[in-house]
Amino acid sequence: MASLVRPGADARALAAPRVDRQPWGAIVLFLLPAFTVYTALTAYPVLRTLWNSAHTVLPHSAQFTGLANYAALAHDDIFWRSVRNTFVWSCVSPVTEVSIGLLLALALYARIPGRRFFRIAWFTPVLMSYVIVGIIWVWIYNYDWGAANAILRAIGLGRYVQAWIGDPKIALPSLIFVTTWMWTGFNMVVLLAAMHSLPSEVLEAAELDNCGWMAKLWHVVIPLIRPTILNLIVLSFIGKMKIFDLVWITTKGGPLWSTETVSTYLYKRAFEWSTFDLGYPSTIAVVWFVIVLAGVFALTWLFRQRERLEF
Amino acid sequence: MLTRAVLFIVVGLYTAFAAGPFLWVASMSMRTTSEISLDHYAWPAKWHWEKFAQAWFNSNYNVYFENSLLVVVSAVAVLTVVGSMAAHCFARYRFPANRVLYFVIFSTIIFPPQITIIALFQILVQYGLYDSLLGLALVYVAVQLPLTVYVLESFFARIPGDLFDAARIDGYSEWQIFWKVSLPIALPAIATAVILNTILLWNEFLYAVVLITDESKRTLPLGIQRFMGDQLEDVGMIATGLMIAIVPVVLIYVFFSEKLIQGMTAGAVK
Repeated sequence: MASLVRPGADARALAAPRVDRQPWGAIVLFLLPAFTVYTALTAYPVLRTLWNSAHTVLPHSAQFTGLANYAALAHDDIFWRSVRNTFVWSCVSPVTEVSIGLLLALALYARIPGRRFFRIAWFTPVLMSYVIVGIIWVWIYNYDWGAANAILRAIGLGRYVQAWIGDPKIALPSLIFVTTWMWTGFNMVVLLAAMHSLPSEVLEAAELDNCGWMAKLWHVVIPLIRPTILNLIVLSFIGKMKIFDLVWITTKGGPLWSTETVSTYLYKRAFEWSTFDLGYPSTIAVVWFVIVLAGVFALTWLFRQRERLEF
Repeated sequence: MLTRAVLFIVVGLYTAFAAGPFLWVASMSMRTTSEISLDHYAWPAKWHWEKFAQAWFNSNYNVYFENSLLVVVSAVAVLTVVGSMAAHCFARYRFPANRVLYFVIFSTIIFPPQITIIALFQILVQYGLYDSLLGLALVYVAVQLPLTVYVLESFFARIPGDLFDAARIDGYSEWQIFWKVSLPIALPAIATAVILNTILLWNEFLYAVVLITDESKRTLPLGIQRFMGDQLEDVGMIATGLMIAIVPVVLIYVFFSEKLIQGMTAGAVK
């Protein structure tokens, strides 16, 4: 279908001759609902969060505190712990998800029978909510009867049996494993779509050059789908920066803050701990917002630099 | 031949790994907890369909399901209309600031939800929309708007301009052009957006957990979470509850898998 293929520049040009005179009435009418929603429920909340961050905000009063919240945040060990956890998550996940996804996509690209079935089966985990996935994995990681330990015992690796999400040393990797399980299929399907949309002439040319199958993949296919790979890395990075549901269902940030993410910590400070102050959590939100934007810009900048070096 | 065999084994193993957990839950949803505790991995000896009725009527699942349905259907309906109006406008009219306004909406795709969620809580409390399905639906519209506009705009932009010129000569107003020309042609893209938004909102948890507290207003993900907290040891019943939430998604997926995959991958293939 069309939306899979790039919304290409050429297609856009074909559709071009837009109206010359501006029917401003119609333009305003068409955009008004969207911008009303945007202003009331996106732009205004962002500004209000900024305002909050310089105040102590109690249910019926607010007091200006300047940068005091920011100063306190700088010395908040739990916050920095959660930042570190979230960063580990969002740096490890793109690597594992995209590389495994790429290998699987290549396997399907080799025209294995039953491709359609595999494609649908591998995509399923993404469709489930983190709540469902979280509960299922709490069971899989159950010490006594969970599948993880059951399999280890069955293949004679009983000494590796452990409390996967109960041990501070291994809880975070265990959860990262869950998101990898969930998102690898998605990455695989996207990469496969990118491979199938490659112009067939390029592949035929490679065939004429008597290029081997592996060489064809490595020198022709992968460089051509590089933009898709980079996109997926950014998407996965952003997704993990936001992660909340899975942690909330499985560990609530424990044991000993070992899986605390910025989102869960912010939620606790705003709605769980009975401090009633919404100012400090807003400060967390603002600082985190800046960090996320910086991370995304850094990634895209980095990829663009690499691009330039190659030519 | 050997490489073929290896490929098959790898693919088969990964499929078991990806789908296994769901089959496990499906089998447990058909067994009672006492059966399960004897052997967690046995095939259901007797199919306990009545567990579904139990979860549905005795554990409030009918309420959760109804709430989810209400919020998701209304939010998606509003999103589709508002989103396609904006997308049509961005794609059709070349007015100054077009790209700037598009970017303003589109860029919120990368915003972490934390930057708005505390203020949204305050705003909804202020306007009496806190702990109401209407408030949650409105927030959902705002949250999914950028993705909807993005998916639709790229499709609207590829409708040939000649069609619109012809319609104008026939005396169509700008609104009629949108309603009678653009929308029908864009139906496939709209279907993609509808399915995508439905699944994403059906699974949504963070906004729901912040903006809803009342038991009678919980959506499915909230209901499941509470259910798990209450019945910690009753694995069989929780599994049944999970299946009730999974089934609609699987049904949508069975009928619209291609559309859904398209929608979810549209943003990533560039």
